[in-house]
Amino acid sequence: MNVSKLSARRVSRRSVVAAIAASALALTACSSSGDDETATAKPTGTVTVKVWAWYPEFQAVVDQFNSTHTDVKIEWTNAGTGQDQYTKLQTALKAGKGAPDVVQLELQEIPTFQLTKHLVDLGKYGANDVKADYVDWAWKQVSTGDSVYAIPVDAGPMAMMYRADIFEKYKLTVPTTWDEYKTQAEKLKTASGGKSFITDFGANDGGFMTGLQWQAGAQPYAYDIADPSKIGVNLNSAESKKVFDYWEGMVNGGLADNTAFHTTDFYAGLNSEKYATYLAAGWGPGYIQANAAGASGKWKVAPLPQWTAGANAQGDWGGSSFAVTDQAKYPDIAAKVAMEIFGAKNTDAWKIGIDKAFLFPTATPILESEAFLSKEYDFFGGQKVNEVFVPAYKAIGPLAWSPFNSYNFNQLTTNLGQAIEKKTAWSAALDTAQANVKTYATQQGFKVQ
Amino acid sequence: MTEVQTSPAAAPAAAGPSPKVSTRRATHLREAATGWLFVLPFVVLLIAFLLLPLAYAFKISLYRSTLIEGEVFAFTDNYQQAINDPLVREGVVRVLIFGLIQTPVMIGLALLAALLIDSATSRFSRFFRLAAFVPYAVPVVIGTLMWGFLYSDSVGPFAGLGIDFTASDTVLASLGNIVTWQWAGYNMIVLYAALQGLPKEIYESARIDGASEVQIALRIKTPMISSALVLATLFTIMGTLQFFTEPLILQPLNPGSITQHYTPNMYAYGQAFSFQQYNYSAAISFLLGAVVFIGSYIFLFATRKRSALQ
Repeated sequence: MNVSKLSARRVSRRSVVAAIAASALALTACSSSGDDETATAKPTGTVTVKVWAWYPEFQAVVDQFNSTHTDVKIEWTNAGTGQDQYTKLQTALKAGKGAPDVVQLELQEIPTFQLTKHLVDLGKYGANDVKADYVDWAWKQVSTGDSVYAIPVDAGPMAMMYRADIFEKYKLTVPTTWDEYKTQAEKLKTASGGKSFITDFGANDGGFMTGLQWQAGAQPYAYDIADPSKIGVNLNSAESKKVFDYWEGMVNGGLADNTAFHTTDFYAGLNSEKYATYLAAGWGPGYIQANAAGASGKWKVAPLPQWTAGANAQGDWGGSSFAVTDQAKYPDIAAKVAMEIFGAKNTDAWKIGIDKAFLFPTATPILESEAFLSKEYDFFGGQKVNEVFVPAYKAIGPLAWSPFNSYNFNQLTTNLGQAIEKKTAWSAALDTAQANVKTYATQQGFKVQ
Repeated sequence: MTEVQTSPAAAPAAAGPSPKVSTRRATHLREAATGWLFVLPFVVLLIAFLLLPLAYAFKISLYRSTLIEGEVFAFTDNYQQAINDPLVREGVVRVLIFGLIQTPVMIGLALLAALLIDSATSRFSRFFRLAAFVPYAVPVVIGTLMWGFLYSDSVGPFAGLGIDFTASDTVLASLGNIVTWQWAGYNMIVLYAALQGLPKEIYESARIDGASEVQIALRIKTPMISSALVLATLFTIMGTLQFFTEPLILQPLNPGSITQHYTPNMYAYGQAFSFQQYNYSAAISFLLGAVVFIGSYIFLFATRKRSALQ
């Protein structure tokens, strides 16, 4: 008697809970549809869209946008470069206010911000209509299925910049494979009496090292934004070890220097005859022009050496996109802004982007335009360097980033930096990074595979 | 009315059982209230900007926030993790070694300079006093960047010497050099001010007794400014344990030798602002706070007879 009463009470309690849950669901369904209505409702007057970005010459792009739009006005803030901006953005997103409507995100950071569910799915606002303007790997960096979390802006396909004068002086040939590259490096070391290095390997740049792994076909992570609870970690794969063993030999053999990138000593090396090549990205022409003006006219660009002769494997180093945050009042308008600022049809903005900011565009119509492809660069002795970078860009394969990229880059740079300092095996450094990342991911609640 | 007027301080306490007692109590209360009113601005600021943030930091150090599961109560998990974290230990050991070497070098130099300019009263000593103090007026970030250029092995003035100032075995000494450059002048001024406060008659009688200038400096001046020495040393110990800005600024020059966990403060900073591990960062910060507190206490206890700070 008692037992049945108890169970009856339990059942009734359960059904009450179920009813509450159902009504809660109904409520959220109502409110979300309500949100959609307000979002698609036309606002009156000019809508101001707040944008955070750190592109060079961006003010001109904003002015150009504002002068051609009457319904939307961009209010631009430079909230810092890279990590500085991300720190501010994380704080503002967590606080629920203070974040911009549209924000510049580097491609490798998109999963990190998407995981916190603060990025608007632009697929709902027509982003898939511009999918055809982008090559497959670039679109995959910002989307999964029909969900789009950012609109690609620029990228950094890798190529080899080399000093034509040094190559001529020491009778070096432009290498097409990494084996040839090493041979030329040895030749250079002997001929220059150890004064010149074939290049500099900056172990302080995670993007650079990932770019080289990318070319070798490594896939450090298996991660899909659509299923964020699972992650595969494979930092010490055979492909990665091949790349790092090679560079360990180059650095320890005195063939490549190991000065940190983006430092005074590195720039001094680019200006003097210290480095014969610089493994650069698509944004490299602007970067090297600004930091090695003294060597103007001496540099040239050739494709990245290959692991297999005759192959066309490429990697990317850097690149960014525009995402819309969940704090945008009118996500549809913000999405439009994200698609249009550096859109495939916005040739005026790209004129500034290419000629003044030296961005490497991701939109295919811009890439293939005569203005970009046939642009002659005085710094490279009039060479049409994009004839090297554009085919490299198109040959890049897809690569997944982790949703904790700052930790990932930190593990790469810390462990490899220490291996270089202490002259320990680089492959062991990769093993350490692999173990640390796995522990970290498990602590964060991921199912690590 | 008249009664109230005759007892000047009894206005608010007219309803008391015995007029005398109530008057006294009222005076006491009013004095206490006035006292509190005077310290109120300080108390408000102390609570708003020190105690509340500390309490908040302590609270979040007891939780654990993960990317997938969100925030959960973890009690002492973060602390256990921090104590067992080899990277935290590595940092703590490093700053302790740094402090053991840095503190005597810096205080010794500051004392030597203070004694020298105290005994000389030429124009040169005034110039020297200012010159030694100037590095302290340069913002730490600017000073460190400047030293970064001086340490450069391609554009720096020591480029030809073939010394790598940022290699893993030399970088701590390079950092110590920056800290000494920046802070020795400041400590010198603290000690010099204390020396200026000493009565000159003592030196005179010492000279009459046949003491040399060196003896006066070591046997009379130095012991007499021991409380200032203790204070300067205490600040230096605290500063070295919380070592942060200099290694952070120099890090890009050689991230292999100045890692992100180079000092406990840098590690806590990186955890919070690069990896969003605010909870773990708070726990590391509290542990570091405990180390600083214990270190300072041991030092104060050991020097309690000298410091007059008991």
